Amino acid sequence: MSIAMTLASTIEAFNYYNLRYLFIGLLYTLSVSVISIALSFVFGSIFGIIVYEKIPYFSRWVSIAVDIVRNLPLLLIIFFMYFALPNIGVHLSIFWASIAAFTFFESAMVSEIVRGGIMAVDKGQFEGARANGLTNAQTMFRIVLPQAYKKIVPPLVSQFISLVKDTSLATGIVLPELMYRGQIIYGQNSNYMIPVFIMLAIIYFVVNFGLSLISKRIEKNLA
Amino acid sequence: MTEKMIQFQNVEKYYGDFHALKDINIDINAGETVVLIGPSGSGKSTLIRTINGLEDINSGKLIVDGYDLASPQTDINKIRKNVGMVFQHFNLYENKSTLENIMLAPRIVLKRDEKENHDIAMSLLEKVGLADKSANMPSELSGGQKQRVAIARSLAMQPKALLFDEPTSALDPEMIGDVLDVMRDIAKDSNMTMLVVTHEMNFAKAVADRVVFMADGQILEDSKTEDFFKKPKSERAQQFISQIEHH
Repeated sequence: MSIAMTLASTIEAFNYYNLRYLFIGLLYTLSVSVISIALSFVFGSIFGIIVYEKIPYFSRWVSIAVDIVRNLPLLLIIFFMYFALPNIGVHLSIFWASIAAFTFFESAMVSEIVRGGIMAVDKGQFEGARANGLTNAQTMFRIVLPQAYKKIVPPLVSQFISLVKDTSLATGIVLPELMYRGQIIYGQNSNYMIPVFIMLAIIYFVVNFGLSLISKRIEKNLA
Repeated sequence: MTEKMIQFQNVEKYYGDFHALKDINIDINAGETVVLIGPSGSGKSTLIRTINGLEDINSGKLIVDGYDLASPQTDINKIRKNVGMVFQHFNLYENKSTLENIMLAPRIVLKRDEKENHDIAMSLLEKVGLADKSANMPSELSGGQKQRVAIARSLAMQPKALLFDEPTSALDPEMIGDVLDVMRDIAKDSNMTMLVVTHEMNFAKAVADRVVFMADGQILEDSKTEDFFKKPKSERAQQFISQIEHH
């Protein structure tokens, strides 16, 4: 195929219908990402605190579970949520099966980041607060956690950037997100393949680079 | 006044194999100022940290403000409400302003009225000479200023007793005087019980009612201040004093 033809099909590939089709894919990617990020932030924090607090038995089991989940392939978890759960009577839509899988996996990752953040807070902060009359919970939520979160902004945002990229794995259960919709477009006209990949790359880059800019902003504001 | 604020009876403390506190027996009366001295590693900090439960004891009896610390029924937070502590490294809340550092515990632990809380905090900041720093973050203060804020934070709880764990050891020499001045003022208040771990002998001479000397986890001497500095009974204490004073 000549360069002239490639150029022509590139321009053609960026037509209104294809762009709109991909835009809806982007909305899926973003909504699955945002919901999973919010949920995994909450669950990850809870698990991180539980493991840090060394509650007899309980913390140990959570810690083992976190280790197991962290070492599984994400695609396995996605397939499990969508294909296996119905066999035990749990039926999730593609959308919610994706969110369940990402939340499950990311919570384990986030919990380790949060635990590391808590451990990085000076021990004197705990002692100062406890000696000042604050309870364990007050010390954790008012003094230690705010400082821990400040320390973990960069790894946390990296983790969430990974999550946005990993939503493309949900193509495997036909979630109509960006990657999937890209495949549909070039599946109909293989001349669109290169332009579509370029478009997908640009969209993922813009979203994720935006996230890392936000991260730098937050770091600056918290400093 | 003979009400006993702090009582140690045959207290033992181990860190693994290391015997940190050996058969500690000491009473500290309400309103008394006691200075605890001794070479490093002698157990002074460990002893003072057992009083508000930052360190557990292994055996013996420790009664603080009427509460038995070894008893599982004792709510340690009740003791901590009435027993403040000032640390060598200040331990101010890094994420809170100076004023918030002082107001936080009275607000959430004592549920003190917000306006009253603010007034008390500001008057304490004035007392330690830092009213103009109320909006600053701890990272913007010098060591001496941090320590004075830490003292104000402890005082805001209106405790019965204050524990000082080497409050001037981490400070530049020119900062020490301001902190000791504040502590001197507190010691003058006859209602406040103070236990101070320090190497500042002049401070001890000036404000302490009693001096306790520790070495190797034991209390070797517990004397009236004048008696102690005139002639310490134990040889270890004599050595220690002469070392420090010829320094």
